[in-house]
Amino acid sequence: MLFSDQKKQVNLFNRRTFFLYLLKISLFTLVGWRLYNIQIFNSSKYKTLSKQNQIDLEIIFPVRGKIFDRNKNLIARNQKVYDLYLIPEKTKSINNTLNSLSKFIDIDFSKRRKIIQLSSKVKKFQKIKIFENLSWKTLEIIESNKYNLQGIFISEDYLRVYPYKEIFSHLLGYISKPNQQELSLPFISKMPNLEIGKEGLEKTFNPILVGKAGQREIEVNSSGRVIREISKVESVKGEEIYLSIDLRVQEYVVNLLNSYRAGSVNVINIKTGEILCMASTPTYDPNKIIQKPNTLYWESLLSNNLSPLTNRSIQGLYAPGSTFKMIVAIAALKHGIINNSSTHTCSGKIEYGDRLYHCWKTNGHGKMHVVDAIKQSCDVFFYEISKQLGIDKIAEVAKDFGLSQTFEISLPNQKKGIIPNKKWKKNKMGESWYAGETLIAGIGQGFVLTNPLQLAVMTSIIASDGKYVKPTLVKNNNNVFKTNKKYLNEIQIIKKALFKVVNEKKGTAYNSRLEDIKFAGKTGTSQVKRITLSERESDDFRKKEQEWKNRDHALFVGYMPHDEPKYAISVIIEHGGSGASTAAPIAKQIFNFISKIEL
Amino acid sequence: MIIKKLKNLNFLLIFLLILISFIGIAGLYSAADGSYEPWALNHLVRFYIFLFLAIIISIIDLKLIYKYSYLIFILSLLLLFSVEIIGVFGKGATRWIKILGLSIQPSEIVKITIILALAKFYHDIKYINVSKISYLFMPFLILFTPFIFVIIQPDLGTALSIIILGVFILFIAGIKLWKFIFGFLISIISIPIALQFIKPYQKSRIISFLNPDSDPLGQGYQLIQSKIALGSGGITGKGFLKGTQSYLEFLPEKQTDFIFTLIGEEFGYLGSLFIILLFILLISVCYFISIKCFHIFGKLIAIGAASNLFIYVFMNIAMVSGLMPVVGIPLPLISYGGSVMLSIMISLGLVLNVELNYNLKKLEYA
Repeated sequence: MLFSDQKKQVNLFNRRTFFLYLLKISLFTLVGWRLYNIQIFNSSKYKTLSKQNQIDLEIIFPVRGKIFDRNKNLIARNQKVYDLYLIPEKTKSINNTLNSLSKFIDIDFSKRRKIIQLSSKVKKFQKIKIFENLSWKTLEIIESNKYNLQGIFISEDYLRVYPYKEIFSHLLGYISKPNQQELSLPFISKMPNLEIGKEGLEKTFNPILVGKAGQREIEVNSSGRVIREISKVESVKGEEIYLSIDLRVQEYVVNLLNSYRAGSVNVINIKTGEILCMASTPTYDPNKIIQKPNTLYWESLLSNNLSPLTNRSIQGLYAPGSTFKMIVAIAALKHGIINNSSTHTCSGKIEYGDRLYHCWKTNGHGKMHVVDAIKQSCDVFFYEISKQLGIDKIAEVAKDFGLSQTFEISLPNQKKGIIPNKKWKKNKMGESWYAGETLIAGIGQGFVLTNPLQLAVMTSIIASDGKYVKPTLVKNNNNVFKTNKKYLNEIQIIKKALFKVVNEKKGTAYNSRLEDIKFAGKTGTSQVKRITLSERESDDFRKKEQEWKNRDHALFVGYMPHDEPKYAISVIIEHGGSGASTAAPIAKQIFNFISKIEL
Repeated sequence: MIIKKLKNLNFLLIFLLILISFIGIAGLYSAADGSYEPWALNHLVRFYIFLFLAIIISIIDLKLIYKYSYLIFILSLLLLFSVEIIGVFGKGATRWIKILGLSIQPSEIVKITIILALAKFYHDIKYINVSKISYLFMPFLILFTPFIFVIIQPDLGTALSIIILGVFILFIAGIKLWKFIFGFLISIISIPIALQFIKPYQKSRIISFLNPDSDPLGQGYQLIQSKIALGSGGITGKGFLKGTQSYLEFLPEKQTDFIFTLIGEEFGYLGSLFIILLFILLISVCYFISIKCFHIFGKLIAIGAASNLFIYVFMNIAMVSGLMPVVGIPLPLISYGGSVMLSIMISLGLVLNVELNYNLKKLEYA
C-alpha cells in the first residue's frame, strides 16, 4: 500500500468517523429532547394518568335514617341482612361449588346458568351476588359447611324494614332503586345503587334520610385488583325523623278500619296541628314491595279495585255531605241571612225552580232554627239559607276553613278537591251556575269534593275557635297558630250545635255519645248514586239492602273534649251507609281510646 | 505478559460497563418489587461471567482473531442456521439455542462476527479497490446472509439493526455516498414487497405505533403505559422502588424491553439522562480507540462495536418513548437477558483488545 494512499484512507476514516459520531450524538439529542417532552413538559398530564391508573374510588353507602313515631317507637328501621356471594377465582370449579351449595339452598337451572354466564364476564376476583337476605337457618348451614364451599362467602347489607307493616304504609311509603330521572337528584350524587324513598315520607325526606356517602380510595393494579387502602372517609348516617303520629292510635284505628272495605280516619291535635293518626284502608305491606321478588305482590295491588296504594286521607275525594252544613251555617250567620233564632219550617221537601228538593226526613222536621237544623241535619233548612246566600259566599267561607287547600304535611300528591263557585263552573264547564246547584252544594253534595284531611282541618279550626291550624306529620309541640277573628261568634253557635248532635236526644250521633268524655261532631252521609223519584216514593228505599258500591259514604267529623277541645277527627267509611250508623260509632271508639291512653 | 496487558486495559471502559450493569441490577431489583429474585441476582452472576469472558477476549492475540475472523463468522452463521433448522423440525419457531445451560440467541452473536468479517475484508483490500463495485459483493454477502436468516425467523428488530450496522461500517470503510443513497432508494421501492413478509402481529405493532390511542388496551397499551410511566416520573422521579406503574403491573415486559421506563419513572428525567450520558461516554471511548488505532481491522472493530451498542440503545429508548414502533430491542447491560449482554461484552472485549494492539504494523503471522 502506498504511503499517500494510506494517509488518504486514514483521513477519510477519521472524517467519516467524526461524521458518524456527530450523527449518533444528534440522534441521542433527539431522544433526550423526546424524553424532556414526556418527562418534564407533559409530566403533569402523565402524572394524572398514572394516578387514575392506580387509584379507584369506592363509595361507602350511608345507612338510611330511622323513622320514629312521636313516642320514639321505631317504625322504619334498617336490618342487617346477609347476602351470598361467589368469587370465581377462589374456586377451582364453579360447577362443583354450585353443586355442593345446592345441597343447602335451592338453585334452579336458570339461576345456575345466569351465575355461570356472569362469572365468565366479570373479572375473576369480582364478587357475584347469588342470594339476597339469607334466612338464619340457611346462614347457619352455610357457615357450618364453609370448608365444603369453595369461593362462597357471605357479606352484610342493610334492608329497610317496616316493623308495623301495613299500619304506616301510606305515610312512610317505601324505598327502591332510583329510576333514570331520579339519578340526577342531588343527594344520590355518586351512588346510583342507593335505594331511595319512592313514596310518602320516605320520598319527601330523602335528602335528610339518605345521609352522606363515605369513600375509600384504593390502589388497584392493572387488572383492577385491590392492592391497599389509601384513605377512607366514613359515611354519615341519615338523620332520624320523629313523626307526629302516635303508634297506638294509628294501630288501633287501622285495625278498626280493617272491618270495613275502605275508609279513612284522621286525628289532629288542634293545639299543635300534629296529626296523631292518618289511616287509609285498604293498605299494603311495604316490606313485601321491598323484598324481591315482588312482582306477584305488585300485580295483586294494581289489580285491586279498591286501589290500596292510594292514601285516601289526602288523595280520596268525597262529597262532604252534611258535614259541610257547618260551613253553610257559618256563612249564613256571617252574612246576616239568619241569626241564632231565625227559623225555617221543614216539610220534608221544598220546591225550587221546577224541581223538588227532599230532606232526608221524608215527613219533615217542622220549625227549625240553626242549632236544631245542624243537630238533626235538616236538609230543608240548608236549602233555604243556601238559596239566599248564593254559592260564591259559601265557597269563600269554605276556603277559610281549609277546604280545597293542600297542606304542608310533607306528603306528595295531595288532591285539592273542589269548592265550586260561579267562576269555577264557567271556567271548568263553560256553563253558568244554576241556582238549584247552590241548594245541592248547601248540603255538601253535587260538585263539592273534599278529602278527609281537609275535613279534619276544618273541624280543627272550628274546635279551636278559628285558629289557623296547620297540620303536620312531624313531631313539633311548639306550633302556635294565630286566630282568625272573622268568625268568632258564628263558630260559638256552631259548636253549641255540634255538642247537641252527639249529646242531646234527636241529635244524629246521640247513639254514639260517651258518658265520661263529652265530644262534639257532625255526621254526614254522602250520596254516591242519585236517588230516583220512583225509589224515593217506594217507602222502604232506605231500608233496602243496597249493593255495596251504590251505598252512601258514611262520614263523621268531630272534636273532643267538648269544653276544652284537644283533638279533631274525620272519619269516612266508603259506602258505609249513614254517618250516624257507621262513622259516628267509630269516632266514639277512637275518642274513647285516645282518652284512655296517655298522650 | 498477561499482567502487563491487564495493566494496560482501558479502565474507563470497564468502569462504565460495571456502572451501567449495576444500574441494570438495581432496575431489575425494583422490577421484582424489591427482590433479587428472579432477575437481579441472575443478572449479576451473568455480568461477572461475561466480564471475565470479555477480559479473556481482550488479551487473546489479535492476530489470532484476525486470522480466524471469517471462520468465526461462518461458525456463527452455522449456529444461526441450526436454530432455523431446529425451528422447522422441532417444536415450532425459536430464536434460542442452549449452550452450556445458557439460552443464546445466535442472531446477537452474528452481529459481532459480521463486524469481524467486514473489518477483515476492508483491512485486506487495497484502498483503491474500496470504491469498486466488484468489491461490494463480499460485504453484501456478509450482511445479507444473516439478514435473511433473521428476517424469516421473523425478528424484524434484529434484521433492521444488522442492516444499520452494515451501513455504518461500510460508511466508515469509505463506500461512496451515492451508493448509500442508491441503496436507500432500492429499499424504499422494495418496502411493498417486504410488507408481504411481515406477519399480522408486526403490522398491528406498526399501526399502533402510528396511533397508539386507536386501541388503548391492545397493541397501543404498552406504549401508552410506557409513556405514562416515563411522564409521571417527572424531573426527579418517584423514588427507588416507588414506581407505581411497574409495581401495579401496568408496565408490560418491565424487566426486558421496557426497563428504561421503569428507571425513568423512579429516577425521572435526570435518571434517564444519566443513562444516556453513560452510553454516550461508552460509545465515545470506542470512537477514541478507533481513532487511536493504526490498522483498519482495529478501527472497524471499534466503530462496529460502538455502532452495535448505539443501535441497541437508540432503538430501545426511541421505542419506549414512542419515537419508533415497538420492535423488541432490549437495552444492553440493563435489560434482563443473556444473549445481548454476552454479545455486547464480547464486542467490548474485542475493543479492549484492539486498544492493547493499537500500534501493530502487521496482523498476519510472519
